Amino acid sequence: MKASVHAPPEATVLIRRRRVRPTRWATVRHATQFVLGDRALAPATLLLLALVVLAIFGPLVWSKDSLGIDIGNTLQAPTVTHPMGTDGVGRDILARFIGGARISLLTGLVVVLAGATLGSAIGVMAGYYGRWVDAVLMRIMDAILAFPPLILAMAVTVGLGVGVTTAAIGITLTSVPFYARLLRSEVVRLRTLPFVEAASALGATQRRIILRHIVPHLSSTLLVQAASVFGYAVLSLAALGFVGLGAQVPTPEWGSMITDGMQYTLTGQWWIGVFPGLGLLVAVTATSLISDRLRDILDPRGQARG
Amino acid sequence: MLRTVINKLVGSVAAIFGASIISFVFLRVLPGNPARLIVGPLAPASSLLSVEKQMGLDQPVIVQYGRYMTSFLRGDWGFSYGAGVPVTTEMASRLPASLELGFYAFLLAFVAAVICALLATYRYRPVTDGVVRGTAFFGLSVPPFWFGLLALLLFFATWGILPGPEGRLSTSTTPPPSITHFYTIDALLHGQLSTFVDAVRHLILPAITLGLAPFSYLVRLLRANLLDVSREPFIIVVRSKGIGRFLAFARHALPNAFLPTLTAAGLVLAQLLSGSVLVEKVFNWPGVGALVTDSILRQDNAIVQTFILLSATAYVVVNLVVDILYGVIDPRVRIS
Repeated sequence: MKASVHAPPEATVLIRRRRVRPTRWATVRHATQFVLGDRALAPATLLLLALVVLAIFGPLVWSKDSLGIDIGNTLQAPTVTHPMGTDGVGRDILARFIGGARISLLTGLVVVLAGATLGSAIGVMAGYYGRWVDAVLMRIMDAILAFPPLILAMAVTVGLGVGVTTAAIGITLTSVPFYARLLRSEVVRLRTLPFVEAASALGATQRRIILRHIVPHLSSTLLVQAASVFGYAVLSLAALGFVGLGAQVPTPEWGSMITDGMQYTLTGQWWIGVFPGLGLLVAVTATSLISDRLRDILDPRGQARG
Repeated sequence: MLRTVINKLVGSVAAIFGASIISFVFLRVLPGNPARLIVGPLAPASSLLSVEKQMGLDQPVIVQYGRYMTSFLRGDWGFSYGAGVPVTTEMASRLPASLELGFYAFLLAFVAAVICALLATYRYRPVTDGVVRGTAFFGLSVPPFWFGLLALLLFFATWGILPGPEGRLSTSTTPPPSITHFYTIDALLHGQLSTFVDAVRHLILPAITLGLAPFSYLVRLLRANLLDVSREPFIIVVRSKGIGRFLAFARHALPNAFLPTLTAAGLVLAQLLSGSVLVEKVFNWPGVGALVTDSILRQDNAIVQTFILLSATAYVVVNLVVDILYGVIDPRVRIS
């Protein structure tokens, strides 16, 4: 770059500042260092990461079929060939555990993404436009909140037909008001701040104000809320699976695996029901730890619900 | 004051109206044609049409919605094809078992939460505080049905100290003559001590399992409230008047810490309602929750739908009452 002799000194300063801005890689490294240096975040994140790695790469390492029935080897206690034992029809529990991790984590992710998108769109619109938009959207949210969350998810799956997809839709629906209410109050507060007025005075369109000046300020609130919804989603999916509204046999899903293990637990074959529950416990505990800690760091005012 | 109450009442009515539409859409409109379910898949179009007419399915959606709501409000909740009796009968016969379990679960959760919150905050004891917080954290993360299964595995299958999943009483024990339909109270009223002991032994594991989530929630709330209140200036004033630590805690801090807990009543009810569906099946408890789980598997929709509507109604009513009560008890809310 050729610095012109006529350029005012401020310009060069601006150019230099641009160069010093950290690269994306540095931000990632910084975030990683921060997470690993935190006493609560580090173990929880590693635990969750371990489950994610197991879900993604598990089937490559452990090649047994999660649906493979083996009548000769039913109800085997955990051994080297079957580290988590086998169930009533001889299926390998470890393979099913991995399959369950895939379904649970993927559903949790989808529910979080869909709910956060829908909920923040509703919250931002209600908060920014106010008046009747706000009134209508918030009344709809109130109607959803009039149900105990799990009961509404049950109603949705009963209405749309049982299955993992409909269960995920039901759980997403119940999670939308959590985001919408929180973000709405944030937007109402942000809307009146000087920098938004300044952007408006400079002639920025509403679209630009919302996307460039308001939404970036919501990211930490959204992140905290999304983390707690993830745990809620994983637990709810298992609960729906447990009562028979989620995954159907023979799909390996942690909740329905526990239902399956119920009849064997009392006769001593504990491994069928215990391992999937352990998976749930680890996943949910790790996410709650993360979301609690994130809330402490990022958003001391935020309130958990559900 | 009256204006606040009216405002809240209007808001709740709007929410109930919205909720009834949601339930109408998901439980009546989406699951397909109920007339088809009654006449069967092979019935000719003419009989399908006549049943549709009889059920009012040929009417506009708004009229159908009106009928749906009036029949629900009149207590006409349909017929359970799985049980062969009207839903009302089936629900009524199952309700006492659920109420008894829910009552003891709540009692246990509440008492334990108060004790644990006091232990954690009364003096600075990091270890006790850590244990209490850890337990509460565990209680909110653990799937209740799995916890119940684990409890059965240890206390019944392994150590054999407590009865297994056989319902409210041992098979050899006859239920006490019913007055309150609570086996524990009925047994005491008739002086049947052995029946009472048996009923209590059967209640321990289910009540702990069902109460775990509300306990954890209440403990977190109470602990935070107690910490907040005990830092307030009026507590310092009370202490400097020469009142002991215990009295200051019991008489001044605790009542004020309870107040915000009242708002959690709705949430606790929600936990007990959805918990009963998840927990009763594990213990073969003959209550409404187990009935719902069985009905889901039998595709006996009338019962599932009624349960969903009733829970939503109970939830809304409790939240409304709490909202209004809170304004009455705490004058600060009235002003804002």
